[in-house]
Amino acid sequence: MRAIVGQHGSSVMASVVLLALVVFGAVSIDGFWSLINLRSSLVFASFLGVATVGQTLCALIGGLDLSIPFVVGAANVGLVKLLNDGLPSPVGIVVVFVLGALIGAFNGVLSHRLRGQSLVVTLGVGNAVLGLIQILVSSGGNSGISGGTIQGAVPQWLQSFATANHTVGIAPAVILWAALAALNIVLLRRTWLGRSLYALGGNRVAADRVQISGPWTWTLVFAASGVTAAMTGVLLLGYTGSGYAGVGDPYLFTTIAAVLIGGTSLVGGRGGYGLTVLGVLILTVLQTILSGYSLSSSAQEAILGLLIIPAVALYARSPHPRMQI
Amino acid sequence: MVADAKWSAGRLIRQRSLRTPVILLVILLVIAAFHGPHLFTSDGLAGGLVGAAPLMLATLAMTPIAIAGPAGVDLSIGPAMTLINIAIVMGLPEIGLSSPLAVFACAIGLGVLLQVVMGTLIAVLRVSTVVVTLAVYLVLDGMNSVILPQSGGTAPDWLASWGSASTIFSLVLYVPLAAFVLWALVSRTTFFRNIRLMGANDRTAFVSGIPLIPTRIGAHVVAGVFVGIASVMYTGLIGSADPTAGTPYTLSAVTALIIGGASLGGGHAKGLGSVLGAIDIWLISYVLSTFNFGLDASYWVQFTTGAVLVASLIAGGLLTGSSRPRLARWRKRRGGQAEPGVS
Repeated sequence: MRAIVGQHGSSVMASVVLLALVVFGAVSIDGFWSLINLRSSLVFASFLGVATVGQTLCALIGGLDLSIPFVVGAANVGLVKLLNDGLPSPVGIVVVFVLGALIGAFNGVLSHRLRGQSLVVTLGVGNAVLGLIQILVSSGGNSGISGGTIQGAVPQWLQSFATANHTVGIAPAVILWAALAALNIVLLRRTWLGRSLYALGGNRVAADRVQISGPWTWTLVFAASGVTAAMTGVLLLGYTGSGYAGVGDPYLFTTIAAVLIGGTSLVGGRGGYGLTVLGVLILTVLQTILSGYSLSSSAQEAILGLLIIPAVALYARSPHPRMQI
Repeated sequence: MVADAKWSAGRLIRQRSLRTPVILLVILLVIAAFHGPHLFTSDGLAGGLVGAAPLMLATLAMTPIAIAGPAGVDLSIGPAMTLINIAIVMGLPEIGLSSPLAVFACAIGLGVLLQVVMGTLIAVLRVSTVVVTLAVYLVLDGMNSVILPQSGGTAPDWLASWGSASTIFSLVLYVPLAAFVLWALVSRTTFFRNIRLMGANDRTAFVSGIPLIPTRIGAHVVAGVFVGIASVMYTGLIGSADPTAGTPYTLSAVTALIIGGASLGGGHAKGLGSVLGAIDIWLISYVLSTFNFGLDASYWVQFTTGAVLVASLIAGGLLTGSSRPRLARWRKRRGGQAEPGVS
């Protein structure tokens, strides 16, 4: 079985699952192939896809970034605050990206130092960041936050980013995701930096012996994750039109689920962003189908949970201790 | 000789692991003494115990899984407590049961069942703890809202009266005390020592003839018992059934576990540390509630909890050298210093 699945097993398997889901959806749900549904599904997929760029990179080096939903929320709320304070939108977005990178870099430095604890490090940093942002924003009096929601003038160009009513027919957010995905796949496959992620995830000591800097790579990877999380927060602001601190909440587990279902192992060293794209698409199609059967979001969550274990049991089992001696 | 030195170093580390939660406890108690002295009245202590007990027991439930390692974090505990809460309040009365015996049996039975399922998946399939408990988190959290869309129902009278206890000398005190005694007994058994050895190094444990699969599932059984007791205490605290209110216990319990000095590498975690960590977490929200943050209060709790978690991780990493490479470096340095003296 393992020999058949082999090196390209996960991508073949994920593609088959995706194809089966698409066929099933097309047959059983009216309007599945309608342009409106495809467009809106792709936009949703692009939000999740951008956020999972960081999670995939972290998983490849054997880490886990749980701060993503908090950074998404913080960027979402923080950008509205910056815009309300009169900052031009490009400057505000750059500021948000830089802050995201700094938060991520802090995650990376600390996670590398406290090996194997990236889960709790990022959970702590994420909560601290989102709590702090909400405190800062709410002290702004009139333009402040209430119930986690903040109103503001979101620029028109950002709002049009997530809508598909253009001459091209594809929302700019989707194009952005495609570009990011292509960049990522090339980076991971063809560059020294990309290969060094796999080396680090596969075996830390061996990577160290060939002069791959652990601290530097971890910092860089988590910083990238902070930027993509901030990017998702900005995109979601354009989509919804107002800031909401809890906007990132679904991304805590869906980013991990997309990575796992695609076939990237959380242990590190195996997988890639191409697989995660498949994982994101599987999740999105599944969501469309389940919504088509008018299942509540809670029921969808439960089914998603049931999917994870079989997916992981196929690809990401750790070897028996007897094999490690 | 070498083994001797290793053991003394190990003992030192284990004692130091309690340093962070104790220092934090003292600081928080001093602030509370000046800013919220109500805590030190009989009424305040009872309220504190009622409020902190579910978290203390939930953190205790996570401890054997953390010891069994590696990266043994049980993310499912919040939704699991919620499910048991729903079963106690909505399920049991339907079959005409509400006696203390039935409630405890149902809660502990469900807790153990859930943990055995997860433990079996983790041990037999060798899928990481985080992934399995994450999947179970999603399944249970979704299921809870499907079973019970809105909060409702009332806990059995004997249980609901815990929430309004005005003296600590009641079941509110006796149940956690009984749980601590149980913990103290279990953690001194050979079986528990095997869990520790497996968590510290599963290869060594395997070579030493420790049956890995039963030992790992056993760690989850111990956890399940405490999940059950935690759920009963939680039901006493809220007095009804709620599909979502228990979910945040995952984050609080993970935080309390880490503040209590548990190492996610496996092998090192103390019940006492976990209980102290849980008390710290409860005290943080108590102390913050004595300041007038008004509508911002929840943001302050979120910020402070996150910041304390990060700070205790940094302090833990620096004080105890919880990660093995640090320990190795420390030993090397000690060896290096000894050398000039020898020559």
